[in-house]
Amino acid sequence: MSVPESTAASVRRVRTFVSTTARPTTERERERRRIAIMCLPFFALATVAGFVPLAMLVRMSVAADAVWIEGWSLDAWRTLLTEPTYRRVAWNTVWFVGLATIVSVVLGVAVAHALERYDLPFERAVVAAVSFPIALPGIIVAILVIAMLGRQGLVTNAIAAVTGTSAIDLASATAITGLFLGYVYSLVPRATMVLRGTYAEVNTQAEEAARSLGASRWETFYHVTLPEIRPGIAAATILTFRSGLAIFGTVLLLQSHHVVTLQIQREISVGTYRPDVAAAIGLVYVVFIVAFTFVGLRFVRTDTVAI
Amino acid sequence: MSDDAEPQRRSRSDAGVDPNSQADGGSVETTIEAWAPSRPALSTRVGRPLVLGIVTLVVLVLSVPVVVTFVSSFAETATGILPRGFVTFEHWRDVLGLGGDQMAVIPGLAFSLAIATGGMMLNVVIGVPIAYALTRYEFYARDWLNTLAIVPLVPGVVLGLAFVQTYPNHGRSALGLIAGYCLLKSPYMVLTVQSSFQSMDLVRLEESARSLGASWPRTFLTVIVPHAKRGILAGCIITWTLAAAEFNFTFMVVSGSPDPFAVFLYRNTSNATYMQQAAAVSVYFLLVVSAIAVLQLIGNRGFTTIRDQ
Repeated sequence: MSVPESTAASVRRVRTFVSTTARPTTERERERRRIAIMCLPFFALATVAGFVPLAMLVRMSVAADAVWIEGWSLDAWRTLLTEPTYRRVAWNTVWFVGLATIVSVVLGVAVAHALERYDLPFERAVVAAVSFPIALPGIIVAILVIAMLGRQGLVTNAIAAVTGTSAIDLASATAITGLFLGYVYSLVPRATMVLRGTYAEVNTQAEEAARSLGASRWETFYHVTLPEIRPGIAAATILTFRSGLAIFGTVLLLQSHHVVTLQIQREISVGTYRPDVAAAIGLVYVVFIVAFTFVGLRFVRTDTVAI
Repeated sequence: MSDDAEPQRRSRSDAGVDPNSQADGGSVETTIEAWAPSRPALSTRVGRPLVLGIVTLVVLVLSVPVVVTFVSSFAETATGILPRGFVTFEHWRDVLGLGGDQMAVIPGLAFSLAIATGGMMLNVVIGVPIAYALTRYEFYARDWLNTLAIVPLVPGVVLGLAFVQTYPNHGRSALGLIAGYCLLKSPYMVLTVQSSFQSMDLVRLEESARSLGASWPRTFLTVIVPHAKRGILAGCIITWTLAAAEFNFTFMVVSGSPDPFAVFLYRNTSNATYMQQAAAVSVYFLLVVSAIAVLQLIGNRGFTTIRDQ
C-alpha cells in the first residue's frame, strides 16, 4: 500500500472511531464513550494548565526575544551547555537531594519498622507527628528551622548557654546544615508514609519463623524483612528524591545552597532577567524528573510513588 | 509479630532434627551449633532500643519545632533560651487583624482559602470521574493515563514560570491560581477516590442499579459517587489544606494584593517579630491539626492518602 493510501486509511479509521464513540450503537462503543466522557474533564484541565504551558516553555527557550516570544535562537541552550555555573548547580542539586533522600529513607525505614512491628505507646500521636510535616509548605519549614537553629533559635541558645560560646557563632539555620535539616524535615514523613504501606503488606510469619529458628534481630531484618520491603524502599527513594528536587520555599528563604529551583528564580529576578534560560532550565528539570520517574516505575507499582 | 518474645534457644547438638517439630514456638531443635549462642546476639540486645531511639529522635525533631513555635506565639518575648512572659494574646490579636497591625494574616489567608476551595471543587469535578474510569475499565493506554493522573510530574516552580508566560492576562488572576492548584493537587484527589473505588465491587453495584432501571448517568451520580464519599471527603481535605499554603507555584505566579497566605509569610519574614510570625504560622498549624483529626476520623492514616484497612 502506498503512503497516501495508508494515511487515508488511518484517517478513515480514526474518523470511524471518533464517530462511533460520539454516536455509539453497540454496548462496547457505549462503554468507550463513557470512558471518554469520564476522562475528558481531567484532560481539559491538563491541557489548559499543563500541556499548553509546557509547550510555551519550549517556545520560550528557543525565542530570540523571550519577553515578547519572537524570533528563534538557541542562545539559552548554548548558555546552559557552556557556562560552568549551570553544571555546578546541577551537581549541587543532585548530591544534596541525593544525600537528603538516603538519610530520609533510612530514617523512614526505622520509623515504619517501629510503627508496624512494635507496640508503641501513643501510636496515633506518633502517626500524627510523622504525617504532620507533609502538609507544611517549604516556607514554613524554613521558618521552623530558623526558630530552632537561627540566632535567636531555641537549640542555638541552649547550646550557647551550655558551652558558653556566642549564639551568633553557633547559629546554623542559614548554613548548609540547617538547609539539610529542612530538607530531611520535609522528606522523612513522605518516605515513612510509603514504607508504612509496604510494611503493612509484608507477611510477618516468615520473620517469626526466622526468629524462632535462632536468627538474631539483625539477621532476621537483613535476610527476611529487607528483601520483602525492597519495593517499598525503591518507591520511597523515587518519591523522596522527586519531592526533594521540587523543594523551593525552604531554599528560597535560607539561601545557603544553590539548587536548581533557586537558579530558576534567579533567572527571572530583576537584574538578571533571562526568561529563556529559566525556561531551558525548567525543561531540563522536568525532563529529568519525568525520565527518573519512568525509569523508577519499571521497578515499582505506580500508586506507591504517587504523592 | 511477637517481636519482644525472646525465642527460646536450646544448645543441643546431639539430637537430630525432629521431622514433626514446628517453627512456631521455639521448640525447634537445630543441628547447627553456630545458631545456638549462649547469649543473645548483639543486634537482639541493642536493636530494639536503637530503633526506638531513632524513632524518638525523629518524632522529636519533627514535632518540637511545631510545638515550640505554637507555644511561643503566646509568649511576650523570645530572647534567651526559652520564650518568656506567658500568657499573652497580643500576637494572635495582631495576626488576626484586631490590633490594626500590618501583620494581619486574615486577608491573605481568606484569599488563599477561597482559592483553595475553588481548586478543591474543581478537583472533585475532574478527579472523581477519571478515578472511576481508571478503576472500573480496562482500556488502551490506561497505565499511561494512570501515571499521568496520580504522579505530579511538573514541579510547581516550573509550572508557575510557564503559566505566567502562557496566560499573561489571566495567569496571575484568581482563576489562574485555581486552575494551577487544581492540577498540582489533583493526584491526591484521584488517589484517595481510587482507593475508595477499589474497595467496592463496582461492576456489581453498577449492574444492580442498571437492571433496576437507572440510566447510566443516574447510576454514576446517585449510586457510585455516594458510595465513595469518604474517599472524596479525604481528597477534599487534603487538596484544600495543601492548596491553602501552596508556595512554589503561587510565588512564581502571584503579583500583589492580597498576597496569598504563604507569600505573605515570605514577605514578612524580615519585618515581623518572631512571635508574630509564630502566631501567623500557628494559624495554619491549627488548620492542619483539624484536617488530620477529620482524616483520622474517616479512616485515613493521618495526613496521607493511605487508609487503614
